[in-house]
Amino acid sequence: MDFEVTYTPEQETFRAEVRGWLSENIPADLTQPVDPADLTLEQYHKLRELGRRLGAKGWLYPTYPKAYGGGDLAVDFVIILEEELDRYGLHLPPYYDSGGRLGGASIFVWGTEAQKQHFLPPIFRGEWRTWQLLSEPNAGSDLAGVQTRAVRDGDSYVVNGQKTYIGSLYGCEMMWTIVVTDPEAPRHHNLGWLMIPYDLPGIDVRPMELLTAGGEGGASPGLKHTIFFDNLRVPAFNLVGGENNGWQVATTHLELEHGGGGIVRRNRIVDQFLEYCTTTKHNGVTLSHDPNVREDMVDIYIRSEINRLFGLRTYWLSHAHQPRSYEGPQGSYYRKVTALEMAETMLRALGPYAMTNDPQWGPLQGLLEHYQRAAVVGLHPGGTTDIQKVVMSRRIGIGRTAQEQAGRLR
Amino acid sequence: MDLGLTEAQEILKTAAADFVRQEYDKDTLIALENTPTGITLELFRQAADLGWLGILIPESYGGTDRSLTDTAVLFEELGRGPVLGPHFSSSVLGTLVVLLGGTEAQKQELLTGVAQGTTVLSVAVTEPQYGWLPDTVHMPASRQGDHYILNGAKLFVHDAQAATHLLCAARTALPGSDPGSGITFFVVEANSPGIEIRTLPGWMSQMDEIRFDNARVPAANVLGDTPGNGWDILEAASMGAIPILCAYQVGSCQAVVDMSVAYSRTRHQFSQPIGRFQRVQDHIIGAVNHLDAARWTTYEALWKLDSGRDARSSVHLAKAVTSEASLKVCAGGHEVHAGVGVMREYGLTLHTQRSRTLYHFLGDARYHRRRLADALGW
Repeated sequence: MDFEVTYTPEQETFRAEVRGWLSENIPADLTQPVDPADLTLEQYHKLRELGRRLGAKGWLYPTYPKAYGGGDLAVDFVIILEEELDRYGLHLPPYYDSGGRLGGASIFVWGTEAQKQHFLPPIFRGEWRTWQLLSEPNAGSDLAGVQTRAVRDGDSYVVNGQKTYIGSLYGCEMMWTIVVTDPEAPRHHNLGWLMIPYDLPGIDVRPMELLTAGGEGGASPGLKHTIFFDNLRVPAFNLVGGENNGWQVATTHLELEHGGGGIVRRNRIVDQFLEYCTTTKHNGVTLSHDPNVREDMVDIYIRSEINRLFGLRTYWLSHAHQPRSYEGPQGSYYRKVTALEMAETMLRALGPYAMTNDPQWGPLQGLLEHYQRAAVVGLHPGGTTDIQKVVMSRRIGIGRTAQEQAGRLR
Repeated sequence: MDLGLTEAQEILKTAAADFVRQEYDKDTLIALENTPTGITLELFRQAADLGWLGILIPESYGGTDRSLTDTAVLFEELGRGPVLGPHFSSSVLGTLVVLLGGTEAQKQELLTGVAQGTTVLSVAVTEPQYGWLPDTVHMPASRQGDHYILNGAKLFVHDAQAATHLLCAARTALPGSDPGSGITFFVVEANSPGIEIRTLPGWMSQMDEIRFDNARVPAANVLGDTPGNGWDILEAASMGAIPILCAYQVGSCQAVVDMSVAYSRTRHQFSQPIGRFQRVQDHIIGAVNHLDAARWTTYEALWKLDSGRDARSSVHLAKAVTSEASLKVCAGGHEVHAGVGVMREYGLTLHTQRSRTLYHFLGDARYHRRRLADALGW
């Protein structure tokens, strides 16, 4: 076994190239707020510009074929890219593009050649930022029970309905969603998967006021919306995967949302919390020398190490094309549950300081205060912890011999 | 990055799994569970013939000199049984203590025998003031001419009844400012006069008390050239041995999960498999999560050791996670199995007993959590 990438001279050359390129292309004044809700429009534009430059090199979605705007890069090269971006506190993509990440994969697996040619290059080159529209007021965990309706009319679908917990700050260029295309068909055979340009008439986007927005992995969105469709007309070309095949298409992005792609990033909040405890005194004693805090730190460290290893394991499975089963949803479940446990442990360790982002009294510029909220909010995006356990059970084959397969990623 | 097994490891894994399945059926294991040695001479000789007793021993001493990760792959399969007996005590912990601390002559003599199965080692460190810190080692060894005289007791020693030789830690000097100084390992023939070994009763297996009553040990039997550095030897040997013990527990956890999944499919209540109930699923999912946490922390520690990286924090992490996981996985298994699970003949309690018996071996979860914090420099 080898838990680290052993880099070849060719890869080290690539790293030097990446490092040089990033230092030239990441603006020196690019900062990111502690609370993603504070992202300014100026900061957002800088991140999008960086995304377009990465995209032009095929580094924004580097594993995909060059023909579609990717970089044809093998996993070890992608890890180098991620590692070098991580030095700036950034990852791929550098801004919230959950819809591009999940939707791009789905179109890549299920789209026609014409659809791939049309939709993938702008996503993979960073020209579009994409939102995914999944939950509805009456369809959360029971996602297949969506009610938004799409009726074929000539060369278009006419869409009516409501989607919720959508998107991010500062809009997008493209959206995709699951709609009912045949209300008479049986469950899972009644849906369609539609790409929707953001600027079409009939789309009403209203901000939501949440405890915080986030928890989907990748860059944080900063804001969520409810979206209403009122006789929205979408070209029929935009239906990916064919009539009534939307649930099949969804299995790909659900697999990713359920953690099937794995993660190779460190948990920066945990790293900063631990460092804070070893460098901060309370009542004359370094926090890490207080036996109770020390125990809390060990609790947090162990949980974060297990998360790191689960993420690494799944990353390797998916990128080395090994058989996958329950590992994605396991990682997602464990990450969500332990994030809340870790937040509670931080609260215990630091007391009310953990709850304030006051410039004077809040530790780490308010990072921990935001984490207190984010850990609660993060329990549910991409599937509740209970849904992750349901998926795990089916794949392990608890109580059943026919084990459900993991969703296709290629 | 490659988190898969090598081809050689896959071959070893298959061979070990086949052997355990064929030779250690449930009835055999249940019959052996409460015997003093946990094994038969015939089974032990077979393991020697397969090269497993000398798996960590260099070829020059008759072993096969495999890596720690290879050894862990074998022990994971042994844990699935769970195969009892002195495999770990003799071929891992004892072997590493001799390899790291012994003179050339001692290595030649002891390790050649270990690889053949004619010598069996048991490491006797803990005493009535039980613990895995050096300040719990009090037993004196006083020099008398060309002998040392040992008096006192060693308690909760694993596999002493099976051993031909005890590697016994005793004090040849009082601790100075370093509590680890002054501890010396002695190679003690288990059947020499003044030594009495007794299997401890209760819900544990192959755990012994050793009483030393003016036991005379030749000075030449001090392990290594210099007395007083025994604790350093134990610390160094533990670094390699702990993740292999963890791998054994991972195998045991895997067996419990497999049993529980199988039972969730075949046991029907309320006219359906019990695994259809989400409460039952929760028990198994919890067990799987503990199992995988134990598995990946263990194998990462092994990788660090085999590749020469600083592995201290990873070793402590692995043992802290695995000891606890082993308890929790068995608990999950018992929730799923209910009454059947506590019938001795079913076999689940073999694992439950092991999870307890091995929980404290080389330090429990609490101990390793403290050591982890120290190793991280907090």
